Amino acid sequence: MTEDAEQRNRRLDRAVTDCAEGRPQGIDAILELEGPRLLGLARRILIRHDLAEEALQDAMVMVWRKAAQQRQADGSARGWIYAILRNRCLTILRDGARLSSLSPDELTRMQEARQELVSDDDWKLLAGKGRLGECLDALDDPARRAILLAHVAGYSHGEISARQGVPLGTAKSWIRRGLASLRECLS
Amino acid sequence: MNAFRDDVTAFADDYVLGLMSPTETELFEALMAADPALAAHVARLRDQLLPLDLSAEALALPPGFADRLQAIIARTPQDGAPLPLSGDPTVAPVPANLPRAPRRWLAGLAASLVLGLALGFGGAMQRPAPAPQVVAVLLDDQGQPRAIIEDYGIETAQIRFVSDVEVPPGFAIQAWTLPSVEMGPRSLGVLDGPRAASLAGPDLPAPADAQLYEITLEPAGGSPTGRPTGPIIAKGLAAAQDI
Repeated sequence: MTEDAEQRNRRLDRAVTDCAEGRPQGIDAILELEGPRLLGLARRILIRHDLAEEALQDAMVMVWRKAAQQRQADGSARGWIYAILRNRCLTILRDGARLSSLSPDELTRMQEARQELVSDDDWKLLAGKGRLGECLDALDDPARRAILLAHVAGYSHGEISARQGVPLGTAKSWIRRGLASLRECLS
Repeated sequence: MNAFRDDVTAFADDYVLGLMSPTETELFEALMAADPALAAHVARLRDQLLPLDLSAEALALPPGFADRLQAIIARTPQDGAPLPLSGDPTVAPVPANLPRAPRRWLAGLAASLVLGLALGFGGAMQRPAPAPQVVAVLLDDQGQPRAIIEDYGIETAQIRFVSDVEVPPGFAIQAWTLPSVEMGPRSLGVLDGPRAASLAGPDLPAPADAQLYEITLEPAGGSPTGRPTGPIIAKGLAAAQDI
């Protein structure tokens, strides 16, 4: 880990501790360190800027509420914060009532644009230069694609099976076996 | 135990990838909070996949975003740390849509967890004393688990919520038990929202197996009559814990 990354992680840990102890400046510190990238992640999943802002706001309120429950031993503060935002984005994405004000064209655009994220040519950009990219590269194409459709594009099991043209059970087993291989490769 | 462990590992995969429904997510978070080895497993996988999230292109925050957020935070109460008595979590409600049906056995897994059966995912589960005399899992009319009451029988009981309960402004949640038909329903306490809480129960006979517990929606401050008046949110029969 580079010195910058270590320092960032320490500052994020401190910011979460601030939140856990009721000091709202912890939220400002998280926004300062990660805000633009978090917003970028939300926009990548939700496509629409307004929904992305809403998701980030909701996620930061959740960070504020739950900070005391985040045990530092359980992985990085950064991983925890990003996971909360992803979950919030997926909840919005799968909430039919929440999206009912959007036009059918707009919904289709949101649904399709996410698939472009994991095109066969571009997926390597998603994983960065580290070990994760190498391990993803070692997977079978369908397994890798299924995992990326879920994690990066936010598709459900059913949507993944439809997009890959295979039965639900097949898509599930690709994901399951792919992640098992991935874990082994990364350990 | 291996097949069981494989199931839990598969849940962890689905959780980290975001393939669970909101209700399943909450149940799984309850499992994690009670099993540090499972939580560590999830955290490791989450950190390993984090580079995928970090590759999103950064976007400048809109002007005033931080200020608006601070204004919201200033009126948002924080959830407490996990209750030390049971080692189990405060499962935070999410302002989400109505939960969809979780896979039934995940609900079963969560229920058996709160009934004190060890998960055995690696670590030993710790259930510090004192142990509750009875535990009741309260289900709504759809059969979905909503809350769990642990009654220690020493004028204290604890309630935790495992899925969101919508409480309109001006209303509260009230917890009740029915020690016997002759005594009628007795209030265990009034809650302003679906949060884990200690209930200061009245002086009642020791809780018994199959005793009824329920939560109802009541006017803020609790039922004006001392008896349940509002709709039943969830109810369940106690299971004695003298095993």
